[in-house]
Amino acid sequence: MTSPNKNSSRIDYGLILILLMMFITSCIAIYSAQTTGQYDSNFVLKQVLYYMVGIGIILVVVRFDSEQLMGMAWYLYGLGIVLLMLLIVSPPSIAPRINGAKSWFQLPGLSLQPSEFIKVFLILTLARVLIVHHQKNPVKTIRSDMWLLIKLGLVTLFPLLLVMQQPDLGTSLVFLSILLGMIFVSGITWKILLPLFSSAAALTAGIFYMVLWHPLLLEKYLGVKQYQFGRIYSWLDPYTYESSTGFHLTRSLLAIGSGQTMGKGFGYREVYLPESHTDFIFSIIGEEYGFIGASIVVSLFFLLVYHITKLALGTKVPYYTYMCAGVIAMITFHAFQNIGMTIGLLPITGIPLPFISYGGSSLMGNMFAISLIFSMTFNERQYMFSSDR
Amino acid sequence: MKKTKRKKKTHVPFRMNMMFFVVFLLFSILIFRLGIVQIVQGEDYQRKIERTEDVTVNASVPRGKIFDRNVQVVVDNVPQNAITYTRKKGASQEEMLKTAEKLAKLIDKETDQVTERDKKDFWILKNEEKAKEKITDKEWQKAQENEISSKELYQMQIDRITEKDLKTLTEEDLEVLAIYREFTSGYAMTPQVVKNKNVTEEEYAIVSENLASLPGVNTTTDWDRSYAYDNTLKTVLGNISSSREGLPKEMVDFYLSRDYSRNDRVGKSYIEYQYEEVLRGQKTKVKNLTDKSGNVLDSQVVREGQRGNDLVLTIDMDLQLAVEKIIEEELGKAKSRGGHPLLDRIFVTMMDPNTGEILALAGKQYEVKNGKAEMNDFALGNLTTSYTMGSVVKGATVLTGYMTGAIHPGESLVDQPLKFAGSGGKSKSSWFNRGGAMSISDTYALMRSSNVYMMKTAMRIGGAKYRPNGPLKISPDTLPTMRRYFGQFGLGVRTGIDLPNEQIGFQGELTQPGLALDFSIGQFDTYTPLQLAQYVSTIANGGYRMEPHIVKEIRQPIAENGKLGPVVEEIKPEVLNRIDATPAQVKRVQQGFRMVMQSSQGTAQKYFRGAPYNPAGKTGTAEGLYDGPQREKYIERGQEVPMTWNVTLVGYAPHDNPEVAFSVVVPWAYQRGANSASINNIVGRKALDKYFELKAERAQEEKSDVVIEKDIRAKDEADNKEDTDNQ
Repeated sequence: MTSPNKNSSRIDYGLILILLMMFITSCIAIYSAQTTGQYDSNFVLKQVLYYMVGIGIILVVVRFDSEQLMGMAWYLYGLGIVLLMLLIVSPPSIAPRINGAKSWFQLPGLSLQPSEFIKVFLILTLARVLIVHHQKNPVKTIRSDMWLLIKLGLVTLFPLLLVMQQPDLGTSLVFLSILLGMIFVSGITWKILLPLFSSAAALTAGIFYMVLWHPLLLEKYLGVKQYQFGRIYSWLDPYTYESSTGFHLTRSLLAIGSGQTMGKGFGYREVYLPESHTDFIFSIIGEEYGFIGASIVVSLFFLLVYHITKLALGTKVPYYTYMCAGVIAMITFHAFQNIGMTIGLLPITGIPLPFISYGGSSLMGNMFAISLIFSMTFNERQYMFSSDR
Repeated sequence: MKKTKRKKKTHVPFRMNMMFFVVFLLFSILIFRLGIVQIVQGEDYQRKIERTEDVTVNASVPRGKIFDRNVQVVVDNVPQNAITYTRKKGASQEEMLKTAEKLAKLIDKETDQVTERDKKDFWILKNEEKAKEKITDKEWQKAQENEISSKELYQMQIDRITEKDLKTLTEEDLEVLAIYREFTSGYAMTPQVVKNKNVTEEEYAIVSENLASLPGVNTTTDWDRSYAYDNTLKTVLGNISSSREGLPKEMVDFYLSRDYSRNDRVGKSYIEYQYEEVLRGQKTKVKNLTDKSGNVLDSQVVREGQRGNDLVLTIDMDLQLAVEKIIEEELGKAKSRGGHPLLDRIFVTMMDPNTGEILALAGKQYEVKNGKAEMNDFALGNLTTSYTMGSVVKGATVLTGYMTGAIHPGESLVDQPLKFAGSGGKSKSSWFNRGGAMSISDTYALMRSSNVYMMKTAMRIGGAKYRPNGPLKISPDTLPTMRRYFGQFGLGVRTGIDLPNEQIGFQGELTQPGLALDFSIGQFDTYTPLQLAQYVSTIANGGYRMEPHIVKEIRQPIAENGKLGPVVEEIKPEVLNRIDATPAQVKRVQQGFRMVMQSSQGTAQKYFRGAPYNPAGKTGTAEGLYDGPQREKYIERGQEVPMTWNVTLVGYAPHDNPEVAFSVVVPWAYQRGANSASINNIVGRKALDKYFELKAERAQEEKSDVVIEKDIRAKDEADNKEDTDNQ
């Protein structure tokens, strides 16, 4: 047992404060959302419970230092792949198709979405791959950089394919953004990155062009499903598709827009929006607390990212830096995509708002990611005390 | 190692910072976009939410009243307490169910309208868990994989509900269900009657007190038809549908296209049906402004509703009642006297021969139900049933003779028994002259009701000459020709009365030309009592066939009870056609008709002798196989269907200036000895007496009214004088 005095300096109070604010925001928003009466459950209570579990995860994970985390990375990655494969072969009684996607285990008293955890496993593994690569190739060449790129890509590819077949476009995109973020900080030369990023951008633009002007070709050669186009159409022109695919977007815009600068106040909502306690929680915030409230929530995420960036810049352990980059990429993508879709900035994908949206797996996955950040402070200071002094 | 580390340090912070910058950019975009949506466009979105919807609702108004010609209310509206429910747009099942449950505790509601299916739906609503158990896990799985639609799933649940399950619904549940049913059956925002029959004062009060906790429920006044004269003329007045029945199924589209709603009450039969357009009134049109969730923000009356227009009938209710009483008395007397086993109905139609206004349309049917004799209203039979009328049509036969040129006014023919070859020795003769031969004039023929004169007229029309025991060579055109002429009097054609379902009678089915002879004495085609009235009116007024009508005026409704509003429309007398006969020819027949009632040898003189109102008319007796309601019984029992006599009478008075024409029809009155027929004449005499008696009474009243008025004026003047004297 370490003494409380010693412990106190190892605890990241700033992060705790940000999390606490997230927690409060989440509870208030979910409480408000469930007044629509779409479901009978008390989601606030459950969310509090999940936060407890999340704190438990943090308390466990902080015990592991960077070496131990690195050591576990591949095992966790393997566990994740196994879970995803298990999901495919599981009978519908354990893994039912919900909203068309087979991405949940539903056991009595427990429902679990493995992909939420695999995001973190992927971060740990990619960071490890980077460290090992840099150790093996102290001198950077274009060749070694290319090789690193391929390794990172392959590591991401397996879970990506498994998630895509569920199909879960949102999570697939999260994996890609994690990969992108980690490649960015990996030190791979711009000579590779620049063409890579620009070709990715060109590809995205090309796909959009195809979707808008030649959808039949895409359907024919890529086997993309029609509903995925629908999202794009309804994103660009929600009012035409108001009664079908554009419903959520138009409602969400109506809710957030009518919140105006000051919001309508707690519980004073006028727009009914289904599923508002999960993916569309931001609409509730926007409507009830207006531009000010919504901006505060956005800032909260920015503060979180700022906090992690600061830690990443301060750490002397390279593994932590990469880890931070992955977590930043993950949280940023989540937040940007989720908030973006509620205000018509991005097409709608089923991605929850981290820490705020109701959902056990999502919250625990994110808490797991945050626990890595907690473990940095917890273990690095100790290292600093013991070695440097 | 150290070198690489240092190198790393050079790029990692830079990349980290750059990443942070990208994050900063992305979040800035979010804030920027939020600013556009919430601050720049915020007001537009708010306006969009507040954008209201206009919902126009029609509120029903009471129907018009019906008065008789003397402004006595015949059909009125009585207010009755009602509990209504107005469904909010987008009201949820749970909300409505909750309200229904609360309301069920406050009022009694009969549950007999609840169907099996309603119960099942309700059971599922109440027992969600148990209903889920009706579906196997396998099926749930299929449903989740979209192999079974939720609709199919629901149907499966419905199918699997057992009797036992339904038995778990308590009496209270059923009451809630009965109320809930009413809630869901109405249009959104339109008040739907939940209960309007037998709402007790207590229920009304307690619901009124609790309106605040019963969203959508209201206590109001509904109206119901009330009949001042009970069953009198009820069959002619017709029925309206109840709010539960709503629009008659076969006419839903017709009414819906005319701004009716499905639960509107409309006239289903006769006057209520015929004058629906007049009686329905104009609904109150209310425009409700609602927000998106259906809450009413504001109500505006677009068009003030108006009670339906009132009808003034041509019927004189006093006369109607009196005539009905006469019929009941005579029918009752005849039945209790015995000897009239098949007699069960008497009709009297009285109309103004100059205008076609129906003054009385009386009909009674004697029925034995559960061993009890009843006299039921059968006024409708005057236009929906037809009978062989016998000699009453002879006026038309004589006039047809004139019009075709077969005979001339004053022409004499020999009345003798007619025997034709092949008739098996049977002869056709007149009642008064079974054996001999006598030359008689047209008026004499009418007076004594000569069959032979009529038959010979028909033979002349058909170009046949009578040779005793010779063959009857008569043109096959005779019957159609005569029918055509009879049609000019309204016999065998639509009279044009303003009521639906008028019958025109049946034409004899056989086509032998010789049947024209039977036709000429009213023994072949059947006619309705109303047709007889029109026919006799045509003779009475000098040859104009008037369209009979039962509605005299349409009046605007006014608030004051028992008073009439301004006239909207007056139903003017309409001449349908003038018969081809000259006035002199019609006069000749009128002469004959007068002799029937006033000459010592007239067939009806015995009954009309001494009548002060100068009557004219024609009796009739028709012999035929019984074709009434009991005919089936005879056939079933294998018995021969008996021969019966219909006795009839048509007439008008006064002879020189007729103001009332009438027909009396007594089907199946006798089985033997119809030559002593009296019931038709007794009813006719009493009815005419009553008419003139009422007329005299009213004249007297008017006179005394005038006198009273004069008295008052005289007194006022006297008072004024006093005043001036005092000054």
